[in-house]
Amino acid sequence: MKHSERKFGDTLLKVDNITLRFGGVKAITDVSFEIREKQIFAIIGPNGAGKTSMLNVINGFYHPQEGTITYKGNPRHQMKPHEAAETGIARTFQNVALFRGMSTLDNVMTGRLLKMSGPSMRYYHNKLANMPVINYLTYPAMWFGDFLLDSLYWGPYQKEEVAHRKAAEEVIDFLEIQSIRRTPVGRLPYGLQKRVELGRALAMEPDLLLLDEPMAGMNLEEKEDMCRFVIDVNDEFGTTIALIEHDMGVVMDISDHVVVLNYGRKISEGTPAVVQADQDVIDAYLGVAHEEDLNEN
Amino acid sequence: MFYREAGQFYTSYAKDQGIFQLRQDKYGLWGILFIAFIVIPVGLYLLVQGGLMAASTKDYLYNSIFLLLLVNSMAALGLNILTGYCGQISLGTAGFMGVGAFAAYKFSTGMNYRNQHEDDAGELVSQLVPMLPPIDNPLILMILAGAVTSVVGVIFGLPSLRIKGFYLAVATLAAQFFLVWCFSRVEWLYDYVSSSTIQVPPMKLFGLVVTGSETVMRDGQQVTIYPAAETKYLICLATVVFFAFVAKNMVRGRIGRAWMAIRDMDIAAQLIGIRPLATKLLAFAVSSFFCGVAGAMLFIFYLGALEGAEAFNINESFAVLFMVIIGGLGSITGAFLGAAFITLIPIFLVIFFPWLGGQFGIPVSTALVEHIQFMIFGALIIIFLIMEPLGLARLWQIGKERLRQWPFPY
Repeated sequence: MKHSERKFGDTLLKVDNITLRFGGVKAITDVSFEIREKQIFAIIGPNGAGKTSMLNVINGFYHPQEGTITYKGNPRHQMKPHEAAETGIARTFQNVALFRGMSTLDNVMTGRLLKMSGPSMRYYHNKLANMPVINYLTYPAMWFGDFLLDSLYWGPYQKEEVAHRKAAEEVIDFLEIQSIRRTPVGRLPYGLQKRVELGRALAMEPDLLLLDEPMAGMNLEEKEDMCRFVIDVNDEFGTTIALIEHDMGVVMDISDHVVVLNYGRKISEGTPAVVQADQDVIDAYLGVAHEEDLNEN
Repeated sequence: MFYREAGQFYTSYAKDQGIFQLRQDKYGLWGILFIAFIVIPVGLYLLVQGGLMAASTKDYLYNSIFLLLLVNSMAALGLNILTGYCGQISLGTAGFMGVGAFAAYKFSTGMNYRNQHEDDAGELVSQLVPMLPPIDNPLILMILAGAVTSVVGVIFGLPSLRIKGFYLAVATLAAQFFLVWCFSRVEWLYDYVSSSTIQVPPMKLFGLVVTGSETVMRDGQQVTIYPAAETKYLICLATVVFFAFVAKNMVRGRIGRAWMAIRDMDIAAQLIGIRPLATKLLAFAVSSFFCGVAGAMLFIFYLGALEGAEAFNINESFAVLFMVIIGGLGSITGAFLGAAFITLIPIFLVIFFPWLGGQFGIPVSTALVEHIQFMIFGALIIIFLIMEPLGLARLWQIGKERLRQWPFPY
């Protein structure tokens, strides 16, 4: 099936007139776009165009001065990164941000942290969380109950750990990194580290996956692998993906929708074919002949 | 040859998630526990009974070496959780240990406060009034001391959200100085004694005298029972082993993964949904709990009486930090190895030099021994950090890897 014929769901994330300033510097000016469910969405642009800043805004790292973000139909308040994670946004970084002292397996398991909650907390969320007053009174006790179970690694907690290990192993199988399960990630080559980072994000079972230059610095083979994984994630799990990438070949091949930023402004948007033909985009990438230059010639 | 994984397969995740990957490691640990719990007490008892060792030597071994080693291991475990696993440097360890010691003291004497009033003659009368019933169970006291210390630790851990690295170390240094100041200035803490020393009251556990002495009538005679060194040793040992087990469980589960995530890359950790402040404060709480228990142990079992400002000064904080660094950051085994290194090397040097001098007929003065001890100890630390910055735990690991290949390294 050709990408352009694919059916997408409703709008997952809507960015409206976002402006982000650092002091006097405008990193992003009045940018709007929509990411729809099950889309592979690409943000491209020359260096310093504000792509990573855009991801950071979606993530909750930066708080834009103007504009609104609507996620899953709800306008979003200023949120912290861990709150964004709780709503189902996962992310990888331009320069690998793995937990270097931990093994591959532990890194992927750390991605499952939000999904892990002990039996008492589960009871709390099912039964007690909606009751007034009681929810405040019982929360510390329930939390402490789980904490004790954790610290003794006993019974229900061990079951929990095993269940999540199973989920983590599925991610590990999917990304074909079984052989490096126990290796500390600091010792892995760059390409594999990027893959482990994707694994950590996938372990969160996100609704929206943000990939910041997933193929930067990779050789052809590694890039092909990574493309395959991105497309597979999108196909198999139905995860919406927003990615930043400099390799135009990759972007044009795998993405459904492309937004082009330049100097913090959106200069073009549409399917890869539309964007490719856009004169503004060509100018942004290749430069414009200035009038004086023309006159000199 | 004997130490390798050949033939050991795990067919369930539960087994694969176990503490030990290798059966030999498990047997090794059981062996060490067997030696610590049974061979040492029974062996020393038999040696004394057989006349091969003086009873005073046995008590010296227990009271001055084993107990100190256990207390230091406990403190190192606590600091290792905070510094090694969560990446927050702390120089307030001794202060937190002091909080544990004073909490144990206050709970064991019933939280006295001073009631001053004028009697009929117009003279000022002051008396100590207990607020709670005194607790004489050392185990409960240690837990309470730990709990109080975790609260204090959390308060001093609050700046850790904003301050990182060396700056946090300085902030915890403030905690150290403030707490030590409290130990010598807040009279309530030491029951208004003019010397500001605290003394452990008599305690019993399971009918055995733990501290102080007890006079009983036996066969029509008054007999005074003093606490047996073995009792103290075994109580401390059991406590340390239990808490080491708890620490290991924490660091291999989700709590530990959250700590290590914060340590290794805090931005990525936040994106996974880890709340940085809550996670760091939990590390401070758990670490302080361990330090508090160590302090209570030091007070109840090892020292018996102490002056807060002296016993918990900054040197003790540095000593525990050295144990953690030399033992290996982020390793439970490392905490024990580091504690053993820092505790035992000075004792060894103190014994070794007079002996060496005696062999050549050179008299060695105590002052000289002390100076030589400092020099050699300092040199050893430097040599160690240059040769193996990751500490004894890393050496231990390398040793195990070598052993795995021995004798056929292919």
